[in-house]
Amino acid sequence: MNLSRPDRARRLDLVAAEYALGTLPARARARLDRVARGDAVVSRAMRDWERRIALLADGAAPIQPPPRVWTSLARRLGFDDISDVAPWWRRLGFWRPFALASFAAAFALAVALLAPVAPTETVVVVLAGPDARPALLASVPRGERVLAVKALSPVAVPAGRALELWMLPGQGAPRSLGLIPAAGTGQVRLPAAPEQAFRGIDALAVSLEPAGGSPTGLPTGPVLYTGRLERL
Amino acid sequence: MAVDPAARNARLAELIARVALADQRAFAELYQQTSSHLFGVALRIVRERGIAEELLQEAYVNVWHHAGSYVAERAQPTTWLTAIVRNRCLDHVRKRDLDTVSMTRDADDDAPELSLPDGGPGPAEMLLAGADAHAIRECVERLEGGSRQAIALAFFQGLTHSELAQHLAQPLGTVKSWIRRGLERLKVCLERAEITG
Repeated sequence: MNLSRPDRARRLDLVAAEYALGTLPARARARLDRVARGDAVVSRAMRDWERRIALLADGAAPIQPPPRVWTSLARRLGFDDISDVAPWWRRLGFWRPFALASFAAAFALAVALLAPVAPTETVVVVLAGPDARPALLASVPRGERVLAVKALSPVAVPAGRALELWMLPGQGAPRSLGLIPAAGTGQVRLPAAPEQAFRGIDALAVSLEPAGGSPTGLPTGPVLYTGRLERL
Repeated sequence: MAVDPAARNARLAELIARVALADQRAFAELYQQTSSHLFGVALRIVRERGIAEELLQEAYVNVWHHAGSYVAERAQPTTWLTAIVRNRCLDHVRKRDLDTVSMTRDADDDAPELSLPDGGPGPAEMLLAGADAHAIRECVERLEGGSRQAIALAFFQGLTHSELAQHLAQPLGTVKSWIRRGLERLKVCLERAEITG
């Protein structure tokens, strides 16, 4: 037994690694779970790998689960008063659940801010700066050829400069949608119906340009905000 | 992104401790703080929204009942939570493999749908993105291309060896040894980083 010990340790380490990584087949997973319950060395190896592997999980983009997950979770656990425990996301219950790659919480907030009009949107973009805080919300009211832009907090724009909104296609150069106000709400007219205008567009961006807009037709100033296009 | 990870982890550990005492408010806050991250993790592995929601719910039920077994000295709260969700999802997809694949052992006609729910960054980028804040970025970057890609796909999308082989158009043995070698290197590198960092 002594002779095979280093080999056993190495094999255990590999099996624990593949368990944490997720590549073990069902039977091997179940077997290892069983063994780990009675064997501290095995469970230790598994925990060590879970720790290493979990470091990598930070790269997955967060996605906000729909409110019903919380509601039924709270019901399942027999919580006394669900509405008291979960006041903020319950209010989003009207909102059709959808996948969200980033700014999940910020997005929920933005939607809540827009509550009276939100259910009719078709395209929504939350634009955020490098600090990931949402700054602007852009959305297309269903059936209209405009993009409504709302500044979530006023943007400080130096005198003689303006904010310009861009569509970022998957391939090719940014396309200007025009200037947008630094505070409050504004509208930019789309060059075509929304389905065509946003075909192949992955994201929107806002850059700081000379008053009157970029003289070159391409962004010249720093990009202040970007946001992924979400189709609802 | 200004939240200090150490402060965040301390807060989460505190919440888990209170959940162990059946504090519903603490549980609600824990859910609020962690559910988007964990749902992202779950959805990438099971790839079906309804099932991901169900598994996420079960994972939190588990957290509610077993918060008392969380030992702060042994694991970061996010590690503990992530492991609970990942293991539940992996159990699910591996059992599903067993059901659908056991008839056709080579599983070639059972190609999984590989598109992500949101068309976001690819697994390899996510691996690097996750590694960003840590010394492990270097460790991930040091992996050979094949190892990195195979590990990223297995990790973020819950692919099995044979699914990986199919997806990467490589023989099964090659993929297995990429994974094995990659994991061994990752371990050595991470251990060094933990010691020096």
